[in-house]
Amino acid sequence: MNSRVVVVGGGIAGVSTVAALRAGGFDGDLTLVDAGEFPYDRPPLSKDYLSGTVELKHIALQPPQWYDNQQVRLITGRTASALRTGAGTLELDDGSSLPADRVVLATGGRAARPPIPGGDSPRMHVLRTAEDADRLRAALQPGTRLLIVGAGLIGAEVASTARQLGCEVVLVDPVAPPLATAFGTEIAAWLHGLHETRGVTTVRGAVESFYGCGDAISVTLSCQEHTRSFDTAVLAVGMAADTTIAEAAGLRVDRGIIVGPDHLTSNPAVLAVGDAARTCINGALAHRSEHWEAAERDGQRAAATILGTTAPADTAPWFWTERHGVHVEVVGALNQADEIAVRGQLGQPPFSVFGLRAGHVIGAVSVDDSPAVRAARRLIDRDITVDGAQLSDRGSDLRKLVRR
Amino acid sequence: MSNGIRVAALEDIPEGEGIAVDRAVTGTEDDIALLRDDDGTVWALNNTCTHAEASLAEGWVEGGYVECPLHASKFCLKSGAVQGLPATRDTLAHRVEVLDGEVYLFPGQQP
Repeated sequence: MNSRVVVVGGGIAGVSTVAALRAGGFDGDLTLVDAGEFPYDRPPLSKDYLSGTVELKHIALQPPQWYDNQQVRLITGRTASALRTGAGTLELDDGSSLPADRVVLATGGRAARPPIPGGDSPRMHVLRTAEDADRLRAALQPGTRLLIVGAGLIGAEVASTARQLGCEVVLVDPVAPPLATAFGTEIAAWLHGLHETRGVTTVRGAVESFYGCGDAISVTLSCQEHTRSFDTAVLAVGMAADTTIAEAAGLRVDRGIIVGPDHLTSNPAVLAVGDAARTCINGALAHRSEHWEAAERDGQRAAATILGTTAPADTAPWFWTERHGVHVEVVGALNQADEIAVRGQLGQPPFSVFGLRAGHVIGAVSVDDSPAVRAARRLIDRDITVDGAQLSDRGSDLRKLVRR
Repeated sequence: MSNGIRVAALEDIPEGEGIAVDRAVTGTEDDIALLRDDDGTVWALNNTCTHAEASLAEGWVEGGYVECPLHASKFCLKSGAVQGLPATRDTLAHRVEVLDGEVYLFPGQQP
C-alpha cells in the first residue's frame, strides 16, 4: 500500500520528493512536515539572506499556494518525535500522530559543533537554519570583530557577506588551501587568496580554546602565541546528519541513515534522502555529496522508488558557490584527471579549468564562466570525446563540441 | 511587419545562444532575451530570471529550454514555463517572427 506518504523535512530534498511524487502521478495522501515557518531555500542563508538583502518569504522553496495546488498537506513548526514502523504511524512533537504507508526522512543535519573548550559561549554561532542566520545577522555590525572557524564553502561565503557588512573578519582553517579536493589546488589557492585581497585576514591553524570574558571571546589559535579577542565567532566546520528518529526506530545508521541507490532504508516502508541519508552500494558506503542539487535528485529518485517508475538518469554532480563577487561552479571531479585544460587565464575571471581522463572530460571548475561548466556537464553525461586543446582555445565554441 | 520591432539579424544570434534586447527598445518592464534553439528557431522571453538577478540571454539554450547561467533553473522557450527549482515562477514569453533573415519582436504578444 502506498496511499499515504509522509515526508519529514522541508529542505530541498523533502520538497523535491513531494514535487516529484505529484509530477509522477501519485494520487494518494501526501503530507510534508517542516520544522520552520515554511520550507525555504538554504543557499541564500550565507549570502543575500544573511546580508539582509532578501527576506525569508523571498527564499520560499515554493509559493504558499503551491501546496494547495499540489494537494500537499503542509504541517509547519513541527518535528517528528518518533517513527512507529510496526503501527505505520509517525508521531509529531505536539503529540499528534500521522498514519503513513511510506515515510520519507528528509531530516537533514545539524551544524557540527566540535568539542572545543568554551565553544558553548552565547557569542558562538553556527549557520544551518534561518533562525541561525537571523541570530548571526543581528551580531554583524560595521566594525564587528568576527572569527570564522573553517574556510569551506559556508565559511568562505559568510566571510564574504560579513565584509560586505563592514565587519573585521579573521578566517581560520588548518588546511592550505581549503577546498582543494573540490576546486583543484590552483583554483582553490586563488579563491582562498581572494579573501585577503578583500580585506579578510586568513590564518592557517586551528582553534585550541574559546574563553568568553564579558563582551568578547578570547581565542587561542594553535599557530599563534597570544590570544585574540573577537566579538562574535562562527563555527563552519561541516554538518552531522540528523538520524535521531531513524536510530530510535531501529533503522541502520552510520553517520547518516543508510540507504540503497533506491533510497530505501533497512526498513522498506521508510526511505531517506538528502543530507540525512548515506548511500551504500554493494556494501560500500558512498561519500555524501552535501550539495543542493544532490539533495534535489535524491528526492526525485525516492519518488521514483515509491511510484515504481524508472529513476531519472544520473548526471555528473554539480554545485555553485559565490564569494567576493565571483560565481564559481563545479561539475564532476578533477582529482582523477590525467590532463588539465585551462580556458582563459587562471586568476583572471572569466576562466575555467577542465580535467580530462583518456580524452574524456571528467570534471570542470569555472569562475564567472558558467557556460564552460554547463558544457562540461554535457560532455561528461554524453560521454563525448574531446581534445584538451579545443577546450583551452577561447575561440572554440563549447556548444558545438557538445552537439558534435 | 505591423507592430513588430526589427531587433536583430538572424545571423547575430548563434544557435544555442541568446542576445538581450534593451527595454528602451522593447518598451517593456524587463529587457527581452532572444534565444535561438539548437534547431535554429528563435524565441523570446523576459531576460531576467524569475529567481535571481541573472540574464537568460547568457544561458544555455538547447532542446526547447534555456538554462539560467546562475543557478540552472530551466524555462520553456515557447511558453516561459519554469521547469525546475530554484525558480518557482514562470517567465513571460513574447512573439517573434523571422522574415528574410531579420528578427522581429512583438513585445507583450504571446507566441
